[in-house]
Amino acid sequence: MTSQPQTLASLANVIRSKNAGPFELTFDIMFDNVTAYERVKKSGVINAARIAEAYRVHVDDVLVCRPYDAAVAFKITLRRPVGSGDIEDRDVYGCQQHVPLTRLEVPASPELGSLNLR
Amino acid sequence: MDEMVGLAPSGSMGSGYNLDAFERGLAANPHFIGQDAGSTDMGPYYHGTGAPFLPLATYRYDLSFMLRAARQRRIPLLVGSALTSGCNSALEQAVQIVRELAREHGLKFRMAVIGAEINKADLKRRMAQARFESLGPREELSADTLDLCGPIVAQMGTEPFIRALDAGAEVVIAGRACDDAIFAAMPIMHGFDKGLSLHCGKILECAGLSAIPYDLAEPLLGRVRRDHFEVEPCHPDHRCTTVSVAGHSLYERGDPCMQPGPGGMNDLTDAKFTQLDPRRVKVSGSRFVPDATYRVKLEGAEQVGFRSIVIVGIRDPIMIRQIDSILDAARRRAGERFQAAGIHLTYRIYGKNAVMGELEPDAHLISHELGLVIDVVAPTQDLATGVAMFVRGTLQHASYPGIVTTAGNMAYPFSPFGIPIGPAYRFAVYHLMPLADPCECFPMTIEEVK
Repeated sequence: MTSQPQTLASLANVIRSKNAGPFELTFDIMFDNVTAYERVKKSGVINAARIAEAYRVHVDDVLVCRPYDAAVAFKITLRRPVGSGDIEDRDVYGCQQHVPLTRLEVPASPELGSLNLR
Repeated sequence: MDEMVGLAPSGSMGSGYNLDAFERGLAANPHFIGQDAGSTDMGPYYHGTGAPFLPLATYRYDLSFMLRAARQRRIPLLVGSALTSGCNSALEQAVQIVRELAREHGLKFRMAVIGAEINKADLKRRMAQARFESLGPREELSADTLDLCGPIVAQMGTEPFIRALDAGAEVVIAGRACDDAIFAAMPIMHGFDKGLSLHCGKILECAGLSAIPYDLAEPLLGRVRRDHFEVEPCHPDHRCTTVSVAGHSLYERGDPCMQPGPGGMNDLTDAKFTQLDPRRVKVSGSRFVPDATYRVKLEGAEQVGFRSIVIVGIRDPIMIRQIDSILDAARRRAGERFQAAGIHLTYRIYGKNAVMGELEPDAHLISHELGLVIDVVAPTQDLATGVAMFVRGTLQHASYPGIVTTAGNMAYPFSPFGIPIGPAYRFAVYHLMPLADPCECFPMTIEEVK
């Protein structure tokens, strides 16, 4: 059984952004099924270089980019290009910056359906 | 004692909470009620001015139920980060509300008030003696920056709360505090594990945001035991799941596993989340690792000028197609007219890219109508309003190729047009300050309220 390429939005059930303090922007990508999470994890599409490109920041400003199995989730944290509420800021809470992530394309998986961590 | 039960009425004081569910939470016989009442989340204005986020009546309403419930059951009520920034003036407003409620309802109790605002002269002395590591601001922290800031606060850990409880306080009203410390103080004081207590506090501080459906106004119960803790929503139809609780462990934190706080790091690498029944989750394995030097986070916002805005709507499709060049031309005209330093004009074009700016992936799409906020920050309020109104006037009668609406280009939702917003700030202090004693910059006063 194989799968088609899919957007991250069609595989995850929460993709959110929020400040982690005024100088960091953090993203949580959460799944309600381990199979989809494992597929994304194995695909490697969530990596610092891709995130830096999507958010046009230097890769050094991607402070965290990793899976967290206990929450069946990925965690990504960027240094905010502009501090929360500073003159040029556009989103004080930082909670509407998730859209580029929803469109990340997860490639087809040749081994879908057999993975379960629990 | 084999468990310590904490009840969190809501994730944010003043926003209201489900009182029926709160009653159900009380029926579980909690040992204390904890309530977070502040944040940096709403931006630098509240730290800059020291003003509470909401009208005082909203805090009073929320406090009245939890204060009476706590006194009726003879359990401590702990409130942290009162109100919003947790500076002295905001703290005093919270304390005044508590005194009034006590009088109104005939309540008697011992209250501890814990300050979190640091005197600037003291801070400058400390800066001269130790390096303050930045957690964000790129510029080195200077004495001049401190002078431009509103009140500077430090986030207290659990120790000042424990000192207050040790002094017999039945109600603790604290200035700026680390959210999880409000809830971790009681369990730690009674000998429960610090890592579990802080992790449970982290889940409780946002109350029902860790349950499904996500709701900040839904009370949550946390039970800290010797080798684990357990969380449960008070609403009978809501549920905590391993994913909702583990997910909340990530919320507003930079790293999922290593969560720094006053005096150390809470390491969630080995945290295990277990579903006990459809509504309850058990967590074990969180581990507190103390730092060699105890440090607290300082917060402060410096004034960068005064902000004035004009909000308009644009519907004409011919204008919308040329919006960028029209706005650029008005910016140039304003630049020629106003040559003072320190004027920042920001166009916020809702319907185009106001939310994401240059990062907007759908830059080719543009709405049939645009909401435009002309946002000006300048050294004085009058100048800010003057520039915003000049730009407005220029745009109102701007001519552009193909124009048909020669009577005016923009719709105003209301009068007045120019809105002076007041001082504008940015976070300039977000640094770690070393302390010799975790309580040393959090002065406590005890008051017998009657």
